[in-house]
Amino acid sequence: MTVAAATSLHSRRKVRNSAMMTLCVVAAGIGLAWLALILGALVWKGLAGVNLAVFTEMTPPPGDAGGLLNAIYGSVVMTVIAVAVGTPVGVMAGTYMAEYGRFSKLTTVVRFINDILLSAPSIIIGLFVYELVVRPMGHFSALAGAVALAILVIPVVVRTTEDMLNLVPNTLREAGTAIGAPRWIVIRSVAYRAALSGIVTGILLSIARISGETAPLLFTALNNQFWSSNLNAPMASLPVTIFQFALSPYEEWQQLAWTGALIITLTVLGLSIFARSLTGRREDR
Amino acid sequence: MKPMLSTELDVAAEPAAETAKIEVRHLNFHYGQSKALKDISLSLPARSVTAFIGPSGCGKSTLLRCFNRIYELYPRQSADGEILLDGRNILDRSQDLNLLRTRIGMVFQKPTPFPMSIYENIAFGVRLYEKLPKSEMDGRVEHALKRAALWTEVKDKLDASGLSLSGGQQQRLCIARTVAVKPEVILLDEPASALDPLSTAKIEELIDELKDDYTIVIVTHNMQQAARVSSKTAFMYLGELIEFDKTEKIFTSPREKRTQDYITGRFG
Amino acid sequence: MTLVATAQSMRDREATVRRFALTDTIFHNTAKGAAILVLLILSGVAISLVAGSWEALSKFGPAFLTTESWNPVTENFGALAPIYGTVVTSAVAILIAVPIGIGIAIFLTELCPRPLRRPIGIAVELLAGIPSIIYGIWGLFVFAPFLQTTVQPFLIALFKNIPVLNSVFAGPPYGIGMLTSALILAIMVLPFITSITKDVFDTVPSVLKESAYGIGCTTWEVMRRIVVPYTRVGIMGGVMLGLGRALGETMAVTFVIGNAHRISASLLAPGTTISATIANEFTEADGDLYTSSLVALGLILFVLTFLILALARYMLMRIERKAGA
Repeated sequence: MTVAAATSLHSRRKVRNSAMMTLCVVAAGIGLAWLALILGALVWKGLAGVNLAVFTEMTPPPGDAGGLLNAIYGSVVMTVIAVAVGTPVGVMAGTYMAEYGRFSKLTTVVRFINDILLSAPSIIIGLFVYELVVRPMGHFSALAGAVALAILVIPVVVRTTEDMLNLVPNTLREAGTAIGAPRWIVIRSVAYRAALSGIVTGILLSIARISGETAPLLFTALNNQFWSSNLNAPMASLPVTIFQFALSPYEEWQQLAWTGALIITLTVLGLSIFARSLTGRREDR
Repeated sequence: MKPMLSTELDVAAEPAAETAKIEVRHLNFHYGQSKALKDISLSLPARSVTAFIGPSGCGKSTLLRCFNRIYELYPRQSADGEILLDGRNILDRSQDLNLLRTRIGMVFQKPTPFPMSIYENIAFGVRLYEKLPKSEMDGRVEHALKRAALWTEVKDKLDASGLSLSGGQQQRLCIARTVAVKPEVILLDEPASALDPLSTAKIEELIDELKDDYTIVIVTHNMQQAARVSSKTAFMYLGELIEFDKTEKIFTSPREKRTQDYITGRFG
Repeated sequence: MTLVATAQSMRDREATVRRFALTDTIFHNTAKGAAILVLLILSGVAISLVAGSWEALSKFGPAFLTTESWNPVTENFGALAPIYGTVVTSAVAILIAVPIGIGIAIFLTELCPRPLRRPIGIAVELLAGIPSIIYGIWGLFVFAPFLQTTVQPFLIALFKNIPVLNSVFAGPPYGIGMLTSALILAIMVLPFITSITKDVFDTVPSVLKESAYGIGCTTWEVMRRIVVPYTRVGIMGGVMLGLGRALGETMAVTFVIGNAHRISASLLAPGTTISATIANEFTEADGDLYTSSLVALGLILFVLTFLILALARYMLMRIERKAGA
């Protein structure tokens, strides 16, 4: 190859490299731009409707002003129940997989199934809970909603618990065993304690996940225009209320939808960032 | 320092034959399909220090770990044969493992303080089997730390995390935690190999004091250490017990050629 | 006081040890039970979907999958339109998200200055944390009007005289529709692809990259010829994961797809997806056949996502094994 040809090949390669690398930077810019656009719109439109009434008044009938109190309350109640039910199940299952059955076939299968549940469409979970709870009960209820959310909590907690427990070095377990502690105490007092921040992170992430979920509540907890603390009856929730209000033609409702969306987003992002700060992910190379 | 008196008493009370605290008979050990220990038999006297030496992979740690059956944590590992503790076979199915481990304690190569305070590290093991009022527990913790020559260094920070100590201190904490539960035997698996020379010397001093109350078995790849601390030494090679005798004899005039080769540095 | 064992202490211990054995058994079985419960949940989902869709499936048979009509009045239901919508929006979303996602991953691993790496990485992951309904409301009120006034008329005019493409991008510009849904899905799926691609890029041994740079390769050439082929399977796994997510997305799509039970050639036309149909119609459905048809849609979605997610998991498992080896 002549020097001229080699040089021109080299510069073509350089040009191509610059072009592609620029595209990559553009891609990153696009990603960040979207985030900014969405958050920006949320703050712009949602903030306009933030006032005390949002937190003190109930959802109004069409055309009237009001608040989101019953929706917020409903979301909080169902989230608390979902986490209270889902966390022990998730932690125990993760414990089995990391401590008792680390190399067993059951663990391999459960890990696989758990990952599927983790990414499964949440509307299908809603359908499942409809058939499981709503149909036999004969009516929609906050309980059914909480069950649906719990099913979304479990896979997240299982995954983080198993991962965190697997990180605990075996020598620590041996030391606990060598002092005469039975297995369950080694797990409780040594393994859990060593993995605690990670497990808590998992719980926080699961809360972040269900905070914005709408689909599984659509036909389990349904919605409720009024204040209700009855677990056996339909209950309002922030996501479903937003769904209803946003698709309506009423301005006050649409404004409340934006404000509600802002509240949810701040909660979710806040929890995610807090959870991340607890463990500080395994550092960049 | 040990009072001369008790040594004389010991000599008077026990006749020439030493009482065997642990007796191993025809022990075999398997990792899955491969055999790691082949027909091991030996007798460890009470209240003495016995060392296991040998090149990497000879099975000395494997043998040590048979005594407290810690291998039971892992499904593919198994032992057959007999290990008699005060005459009773601890490899038997009916032996409760947790009980066994209260009698035989273990200190590992890498210091493993629990993720708790210094106080809790020690109280943890005690609390498993005894309900002590706070004052007694405080006393026990203090005593254990004194026994491990750690008390003066940590007495003002008992609430600090065990992980905040230096490597040598962490290892002494592990020793304190082991003696706090009143064992009869202490197993040491290369306890000083991860430590600096100063900490190592402290550990060796400790071993010399502890042997008055406990039967000690130490695995070490450091031959000089074995010569310093132990009264009897076992040389192992490729899963077999090659020679077992008084330490002075092993290091000055061993019977077997392989032992001779190892201690003169021909291999290993 | 000496720390030496006594006969009394031995007896005390024996009682304790018996208690321990009991608690150990309880704890072990509870843990195992919880693990099995996870299996039961998924089996329960599958079973209840099959049971609930039985009526519709037995009435319509395999024709259910190929019928476009969706008529609650005559009770003639067909899944073709929702399936078409689901597949097309997800496919277009993936087509858009994959190059951008890989581009961002390349940026993060090769180009980004070190101190910025973590914040930008976190920012992209925050996109994944934003709930679906937020995308929906943003899509409906901000994005769709924007597309309606700018991008869509542009596309219609651009392809007006090109055969085939002029029916793919045929007007009128509704703002909402299949393309809008696909674009929003692309944004939602982007962080997953980026995050997994970045993780698999990190598994490439640096010696491999260093030897390529060492012979004078440009960054692009290293990525294209060494890193991407090495991590091919992992990237596929990430893409499949993103696809699985896109297929099941409900709220974002429900807001902007237009909810029309028909198949159009044009991407700019309204349509529907499986999850949007279920979300919109389930609570209003009267009659067992109607409800059963909706559950049947759910079953189809379940099978589809299960297969894709299983494939994704399998691919990612292979890369993990390779990295660990």
